[in-house]
Amino acid sequence: MVTEAKTSVKRHIVTLTVNGDEHVALVKANTTLLDLLREEFDYTGTKKGCELGDCGACTVMLDGEPVNSCLILAVEADGHSVTTIEGLDQNGKLDPVQEAFVNHGAIQCGYCSPGMILSGRALLNRNPHPTEREVREAIAGNLCRCTGYVRIVEAILAAADANS
Amino acid sequence: MIVPQFEYLVPQSLQEACALLGQHGSKAKVLSGGSDLIVKMKNGLAKPDYLVSLKNLDELKGVRYEAGTGVIIGSRTTHNQVIANPILREKYPSVCAAAATMAAYQIRNIGTIGGNLVNAVPSADMPPILIALGAQARIVGTAGERVVRVEDFFLGPGRTVLGQDEILAELVIPDQATTGSNYVKFGLRRAGALAVVGVASSVTMAGDVAKDVRIILGAVAPIPMVAREAENVLRGKKVSDDLIQHAGKVAAVESKPINDIRGSAEYRRNLVDVLTRRSLKAAIEKGHV
Amino acid sequence: MSEATTQNKEYSVIGRSFPKVDARDKATGRARYTGDIKVPNMLYGKILRSPHAHARILKIDTSMAEALPGVKAVITAKDVPSTMYGISPARYDETIFAIEKVLYVGDKVAAVAAVDDETATKALSLIDVEYEVLPPVLDPLRAMDDDQPQLHPQYPRNISVEIHQNFGDVDKALAEAYHVRTDTFSGTRTSHVPMEPHAAISKWEDGKLTISCSTQSPHYFQYHIARVFGLKMGDVRVMKTFVGGGFGGKLEASGAEYVSAALAMKTGRPVKIVFDRWEVFTHHRGRHPQHITLTTGVTKEGKIVGCHARFIIDGGAYTSLGIASAYYAGAMIPLIYMFDDYRFDGFRVHTNLPSCGAQRGHGAPQPRFAFESQLDMIAKDLGMDPIEIRRLNARKPNTMTPNEFQVNSCAFTEALDKARNISGWDEKKGKLSSDKGIGIGCGGFISGNGYAIYRTRLPHSGAVIKVSEQGDIATLYTGAVDIGQGSDTVLAQMAAEAIGINYEDIKLVTADTETTPHDFGAYASRQTLMSGWAVKQAGEEIRKQVLELAAEMLEANVEDVDIDRRVIYVKGSPDKVLPFERVANEFFIMRGPLVGRGKYAPPKLGGKFKGAPVGTSPAYSFAAQVSQVEVDEETGQVMVTDVWDVHDCGQVINPMLLHAQVEGALFMGMGEAMYEAMVFDANGKPLNANLGEYRIPTALDVPHVVSDLVDSYEPAGPFGVKEVGEGATLPTMGSYANAIYDAIGVRIYDMPLTPEKVWRAIQERKRM
Repeated sequence: MVTEAKTSVKRHIVTLTVNGDEHVALVKANTTLLDLLREEFDYTGTKKGCELGDCGACTVMLDGEPVNSCLILAVEADGHSVTTIEGLDQNGKLDPVQEAFVNHGAIQCGYCSPGMILSGRALLNRNPHPTEREVREAIAGNLCRCTGYVRIVEAILAAADANS
Repeated sequence: MIVPQFEYLVPQSLQEACALLGQHGSKAKVLSGGSDLIVKMKNGLAKPDYLVSLKNLDELKGVRYEAGTGVIIGSRTTHNQVIANPILREKYPSVCAAAATMAAYQIRNIGTIGGNLVNAVPSADMPPILIALGAQARIVGTAGERVVRVEDFFLGPGRTVLGQDEILAELVIPDQATTGSNYVKFGLRRAGALAVVGVASSVTMAGDVAKDVRIILGAVAPIPMVAREAENVLRGKKVSDDLIQHAGKVAAVESKPINDIRGSAEYRRNLVDVLTRRSLKAAIEKGHV
Repeated sequence: MSEATTQNKEYSVIGRSFPKVDARDKATGRARYTGDIKVPNMLYGKILRSPHAHARILKIDTSMAEALPGVKAVITAKDVPSTMYGISPARYDETIFAIEKVLYVGDKVAAVAAVDDETATKALSLIDVEYEVLPPVLDPLRAMDDDQPQLHPQYPRNISVEIHQNFGDVDKALAEAYHVRTDTFSGTRTSHVPMEPHAAISKWEDGKLTISCSTQSPHYFQYHIARVFGLKMGDVRVMKTFVGGGFGGKLEASGAEYVSAALAMKTGRPVKIVFDRWEVFTHHRGRHPQHITLTTGVTKEGKIVGCHARFIIDGGAYTSLGIASAYYAGAMIPLIYMFDDYRFDGFRVHTNLPSCGAQRGHGAPQPRFAFESQLDMIAKDLGMDPIEIRRLNARKPNTMTPNEFQVNSCAFTEALDKARNISGWDEKKGKLSSDKGIGIGCGGFISGNGYAIYRTRLPHSGAVIKVSEQGDIATLYTGAVDIGQGSDTVLAQMAAEAIGINYEDIKLVTADTETTPHDFGAYASRQTLMSGWAVKQAGEEIRKQVLELAAEMLEANVEDVDIDRRVIYVKGSPDKVLPFERVANEFFIMRGPLVGRGKYAPPKLGGKFKGAPVGTSPAYSFAAQVSQVEVDEETGQVMVTDVWDVHDCGQVINPMLLHAQVEGALFMGMGEAMYEAMVFDANGKPLNANLGEYRIPTALDVPHVVSDLVDSYEPAGPFGVKEVGEGATLPTMGSYANAIYDAIGVRIYDMPLTPEKVWRAIQERKRM
C-alpha cells in the first residue's frame, strides 16, 4: 500500500510481526529493515557494524531464517515475521543459547553477540545437534574481533547439548 | 550509509514486471534478493530511479524436474534453497556445493541464483558450474520468451544479454550423460571471500576415456571463460595423470587474468593450473555430478 | 618454580570464573552502545572527508548544503577552534577540520548537522570544495628524501621522530661474536576493526559539554576536548557507554567527539555522530607498518651477545600516539632475552596515508616477529633447537634489561618448557610430514605504563567503594574502562576479595569523568594491575574500618578478627561471629558513610636517557606460543591447525576471562600474520576500507587453540597480577613464520603471510 506524505517522497505502509507483536510503520522505500528496527521500533539490539552485509552484526531472523537486515529493504519485508535478539528471552528466562554465551565467556565487547546468538539459535532450530564444523559454518558470516570464536563455538555446542 | 532514493514498484506478474522495465528503460533495475544491488546502491555505484521488485513473483522460486527438459531452477531461488534442494542434491550436488562456497549463511538466505548471474561479476561462483553442465537461461520479456545458453549470457563485467524489458526467469540444467562435475574455488578466507580463481569442470567418462569434457574458469577473464584448449587436451582421450597435468598447464596459458588486490595475474595463472587439475581429478574419480 | 615467585594464598572470590557482570545485558540486546542511544531533539552529524591524499583547500562553498531543508548547521575550519591536538603532547598536529591542506583520504573538511542521517548525508554531497591536488608521499622508505613533498612545515624531511638509543658497546659485541646475522623484515598497516564503529553524542547546555561515547579513556578525551575548546575540565563531562571493542583505536578522541561537540555548540541541540566502516578504516590510528633491520650476534653456544635494531616506521598523516609507538618498537626488543649490548635507531616518517597509533601490543608485535624469525635462523645456522636457543637466552626473574626495565617475576623459562610439553614439540619437530610444520614464537609485554601520556602528577588510578547503609551491597566507583575485556568483572572480584564479601554484592559505577574517580583508562594492559591496586586499597580500607568496629562489638582484639565472604569471626572462637551487614549498618549509624578510597601511582621507573619512560612498567608478562601449520605447496595456502599458548601472567583473577583474552589476542595476531593489510592505490586512495576486502578471520579460519598458564606471582601487582590482554598478540606472527619455515623451508620476511607470498617464496626456493 502506498501513501503520499507531506514531502514529495512516497511513503509505504509496512506491517511487520516483530518478536510476535505486530508493528506498523510508514517508511520511505529506501529504508532498510535494519533502520526500521532500530530507528522506528527501537530494537537496538540489532547492531550496525558495516552496513554492507560483511559482518553479520545486524543479523535477524526473517521468517525463522537468519539474514543481514542491512541488505533488506523494509518494504520487501512487509507482511513477514522478524525475530530480533530482544525476542529470544521469555519472561526474563534466557534462551539456552543466550545462557550458554553468558556462562561460557563467549561475550566480550558484546557487539557481535546479538547476531551471533541468533545465528546460533537458527542453526539449532534446523539442526539440533550440529558438529563443531557445522557451528563454524553457521557463524562464519558473523565477525567477532574479541574472542577468536573459541568460546562462541563452545557455547553453541553446549546449548545444543542442553537441548538433548 | 544511505540507499539512494528510488521509486518502488511491485508488479504482480512477470508480464507486468517486464512492462515496467520496458517503460523505465535504463532508469530501472530489478530487485530480487538485493544482496548485491543494495550494496552497490549504498556505495553509490548504482542509482536507479526505479526498483522493480520481484517479491510477489513466486513462480520464479523453487526447483522442479520436468522429464525431457531437465532440472528447472527459478531465478529467485536463494543460494540456501539451492544448497538444500533434494532434486539438486540428488542430480547435481556440484551445483549445491558451488552455492555453498558463496559468502556466508545469512547472505545465502538473501541472494538468489538469478542475481548471481545477472550481476555478471567476473568472480561469480554459479556461472562456471552452470556452464559446465550446459545450463540454459530462460529469459522473459515483453515480446515473449527466449532461451540462451548460460555460456552465452555474459557480455562483460556487469553486462549480460538481457534487454531492458527482460528478466532472467529460470535456469534449466538439461538431462545429460555427464558422469562427474564440480566447482573448485580459491578464496582468501574460508567464508565471505570472492573467488581469486574458480574452476568448474564436468566430464563424461566411458571407462577411462573422457568422451566429453567442459572446463570453465571464473575470475580470470571479464566473463566466465571456457578453457577450450584445455578441454581439447582431454576430450576423446584416455585420461591419465600426465594428460590432466597438461590440461592444467594449457588452461593456465589460455586464461586471461588481471592483477588486482586479490592476486596478481601470474599467481592466478598458477591457480588456474592447480584448480583445473584438482577439479578434473575429482570429476573423473569421484564420479558424482 | 622458584620460591620467590610463588605465593600460596587461599582466596575466596578471585581465581574464580564468574560470568561477566554485563554478559546478560549484552546477550539480550539490552546493552546500549552510543549508536543505540537517542536523546530528545537530537540531530545527526556527518563529516565531509577529503577524497584526496594530499591537496590544498582553495574554496569551500556550503550555501547549497545550508539551503537543504532539515539541515541545521554546516561548519568548516572557520567555525571551530584551530587549536592543534593529538595525544602525544610533543606533537600536536591535527585540527578539528583541515585548515589549509588535507593530508590523507578521509581527512576532515566540513560537517553537517541535520534532522536525520539521510538529510545529513545528502547535505554533504552539496558542499562544494575546490582542491588543488598535490603530489602525495606514499612510500615511507622515500619519505625522507629531498625530492618528496612536505606534509607538515614543522617536520622537515617528513620526520615525525628520530630515535637513537645505545646501551653498552654493540659494535664491540658484534665484532667479537661467533656468528652475526643481519636480516630485514617488514610489517603492514593493520587496523583494530572494533565491531562497533566510533560514535559520540554531544550535548551543550549552559556552557557545559557532555559527551557520551565509545571510548577507552574518558579522562584523555576530557583533557584534550577541554583543551581544544578552551573549556575548564570540569565543564566537560565524558561518559562511556557500552563499548563494542577498542584495541587501541578509541584511546584518543576522534572526529566523532570533536565534530559532534562543535555541532552541538553551534546548534544548541544534541548531536550524534556514528562513523561508517570506511571512516573507521581511514581514521585508523592502528598498526604502523615498520621496516626493521636487525643485526644480532651470538656466541658459539647460541648466547645472544648484542643486537642493533634499525627502523623506518610509516606513521601516516598525523602523529596520534605514534611517538610512543616508535619508541615501543625498539624498547621492547631486549625484554624477553638477556643481553647487555643493544642499540636502537629509528625514524617515524609521515606519509599521506591514514594515521597510525596504538593497536593491541602497540609498537611491539612487528619487531617481535622480526626478532623471533631471526632467532630461528640463528638457531638453524648453529644447528640448535629453536626452543633450546630461547631457553639459553630467556630472561630470569629479578633482572634489569639494558634499557633499564626492572623485571620482577618472570616465568618465561617455565612457559617455554610447558609450551614444548603440551604441543608435543619433541615428537613433532622435524618429524612431521612434508606439508606440516611446527614453530615457536615468544613475547613479553608491560602491565601498565610507568608514565601517563602527558606529564602529570595525578595518580594513574583512583577508586572509591561505598557500602550501602544496610550493608547488603557495595558500590565500586572506578574510572577504569571496560571495553569488552572484562575489567568491570575483574575489579568487582578484587573489590569483593579485598573487603571480604561476595562478588554478587558489588555494584559498579564506572568510566564517567563526573561521578567516578580519575583513571587513565584501558590501554597498555594497565587496568588489572593499576586500577586493581586502587580498588584493592579501597576495599582494604573498608575491611579495616569494619573489622575495627566488629572487634569492639565482639569485644575482641582487632588483630584476631577477620572476614570471609561476609562472615566476620574471631580466630579460634567459632561462636564469635557477626554478619558483615550488621557491622556495616552499625558503622553507618554511628559514624556515617562507610567508604573506602584507593589510589595507585607507579614508583619512579626507568632510566634517564631520552625516551626512557616508554616501556617502563611495574611488571612484565611473558609468553611462549607454539603453532602447527599445514601448507598447500601448490597454492601457497597456509592453514594454521593448532596453537598452544603458555602465558606468565601472575595471579589469575578470573580464569575464564583470562583465557578469553589470550584467545582474542592471538586471534588478532593471526589476522595480522595471515590476512590483514590496508592497501592503497597509486594516489593513496584506500582499496579495501570495508570488511569484505579487509579480511579478518572468520570462525572457519581459526586454529584450535590451547591456552595454558605457568604459576607465577608478581610482587608489584595487587594479589600478584600482571597483564594478559596484549601479550599474547606478540608471539603469533613469529611462531607462524617459523612453523611455515619448518614445513616447507621458505622464510617470509614481510607480513602478512598471504598464499601468493608463500607461493612466490616456494617458486624462489625451487629456482635455487
